Amino acid sequence: MVLIQLVNGLMEGMTLFLIASGLTLIFGVTRIINFAHGSFYMLGAFLTYELVPLIAPGTLWGFFVAVAASAAAVSALGVLFETTVLRRIYGKDGILQLIVTVALVLIIRDLVRMTWGANSVSVQMPDALMGALVVGDTYFPLFPIAIFAAGLIVVLAMIWVIYFTRAGILLRAGTDDRGMVALLGVNEKLIFTAVFAAGAFLAGLAGGLSAPYGEVNYLLDTTIIVSAFIVCVIGGLGNLYGALAGALVVGVTKAIGVMYFPRLSMVLIFLIMAAVLIARSMGRQGGPAR
Amino acid sequence: MTAQDLKTLWARVARATVSWQFVVPALAAVLAINWMASTSTSTMMTEIMIMALFASSLNLLMSFGHMVSFGHAAYFGLGAYGFTLAVVRGGVPPELALAIGPLAAALGGLVFGALCVRLTQIYFAMLTLACAQITYTVLFQWYDFTGGDTGITGFMIPRFGLSEKGYATAVLAVVTLCLLALWGIVKSPLGLSIRAVGQDRYRAEALGLGARRVQLVAFVIAAFFAGVAGTLYSVLHGAAFPDYAGLGITLDGLIMVVIGGLNSFAGGIWGGIIYELLATFVSKVIHEWELVLGLILLAICLVAPAGFAGVSARLRAMLGGIR
Repeated sequence: MVLIQLVNGLMEGMTLFLIASGLTLIFGVTRIINFAHGSFYMLGAFLTYELVPLIAPGTLWGFFVAVAASAAAVSALGVLFETTVLRRIYGKDGILQLIVTVALVLIIRDLVRMTWGANSVSVQMPDALMGALVVGDTYFPLFPIAIFAAGLIVVLAMIWVIYFTRAGILLRAGTDDRGMVALLGVNEKLIFTAVFAAGAFLAGLAGGLSAPYGEVNYLLDTTIIVSAFIVCVIGGLGNLYGALAGALVVGVTKAIGVMYFPRLSMVLIFLIMAAVLIARSMGRQGGPAR
Repeated sequence: MTAQDLKTLWARVARATVSWQFVVPALAAVLAINWMASTSTSTMMTEIMIMALFASSLNLLMSFGHMVSFGHAAYFGLGAYGFTLAVVRGGVPPELALAIGPLAAALGGLVFGALCVRLTQIYFAMLTLACAQITYTVLFQWYDFTGGDTGITGFMIPRFGLSEKGYATAVLAVVTLCLLALWGIVKSPLGLSIRAVGQDRYRAEALGLGARRVQLVAFVIAAFFAGVAGTLYSVLHGAAFPDYAGLGITLDGLIMVVIGGLNSFAGGIWGGIIYELLATFVSKVIHEWELVLGLILLAICLVAPAGFAGVSARLRAMLGGIR
């Protein structure tokens, strides 16, 4: 039982990481906390719900194509928002930047409720992932394992892009000193837009991947964003590996905690966060906030 | 608190310049509307006043301390539940429990605040959000004690049996006193240190202010007044629900401050009034109220970042120029 919950926890941790890494990347370059990141996740889940029956219901490739297409659509929305709204408030009061993304949360939530109603929908799971993996006399559900593996591939791809490509160099340079990057003749606006697109893509991907494993409704946005914030605080904003560690810790603690303290698993996570904060006042591994 | 303390406190409040030529007619107008209007209008006015106080308590943190609390509803909820639970589980007479609500909120503010002020800027906002969500989760899930998602109802006669008009008058008195106290705090030496830390933490520390301590004091004060608002709200409906501590109320408060005007004391009050009026009348016409609100917020952030207070100040300056 503990092992099964561990698998579930790892899957949740992986999806949390995909969201939190997007938050962290966007924050690193633009210094904006995107409160609407949970909304991007929710949109990814709802779009997958729409696309799965259209493409090839029940098949493995159909599911992943639907998820990728949803994530791409969410990413396009992110680009639209970045270029029309966010770009006009870079460098303004931090409170205004937060409120702008809150406005987006409200807008997306009402649009989702208008489109899909207030009830939960469920997304069809690919047939190939319905079963369980039998090890000894324990049945591990296949779906969370597959999602964890898919997430792992995304993580590896992300590390490759960030550390071994020119785009990654620009991203890291932009995080370190955007003024200097601009001086060197790089179009920094393009970096901002690209990072926002990537972050939104990751959130949409996370939403799509985890959609079949739970209820999808218009309240997902805030539950997810709170968990992602906790992950970022534990891992330290702007720190990719910190986010990975934080996400796995939160995911596993939540899943295992539910078994022993069914009503207080969130409190458990809070206690972990408090302990981390007391041990290091700026987050795990992270330096002081810039 | 000794008599001497009270005296100096009052001296500070009295020293804070209150433009009575504006406040007295405003109070008279509220009273007049209250006595003429229907009972439903009185209830709406009561809610407006309570939310104006809540927004103003948040505004103390945001506009003066530059601390964006993303979980201020926790203290609203703790005020409501502190009062309610004291009556229901503690058997305290409701009149006495009125004091327990705000104190519970202040205590919550002390515990969470001590943790939150270790962080700054965006980390602070995230941690306050997490603290509020924890409060909400506990209220929501601890069925045996807090009644869970159904909340606690029917434990007292709403409004202590006062009429809607009578309770509106009582709330007007309490809210006015609280706002005057907040204004006095803003203008007191403590208020100046809160502003100093908000504007430039390192310079304030170099001048010998303990930044974290000042921020914690501001946090507890804001939590206390949010608790007063929560208690008043709980009495109004004779009930307490976990949603009082939920993200919805937090966002309401933030939106009020932004609509009313950042960096202005009146911003919280204006925001409470405008937001509640909009919420009441727009949601009657259009079902998608959140969508409208989101668009309004976008427009404010892009076009008039100083909110209503900023716009009205600009208008006054323009009119003054014409004259």
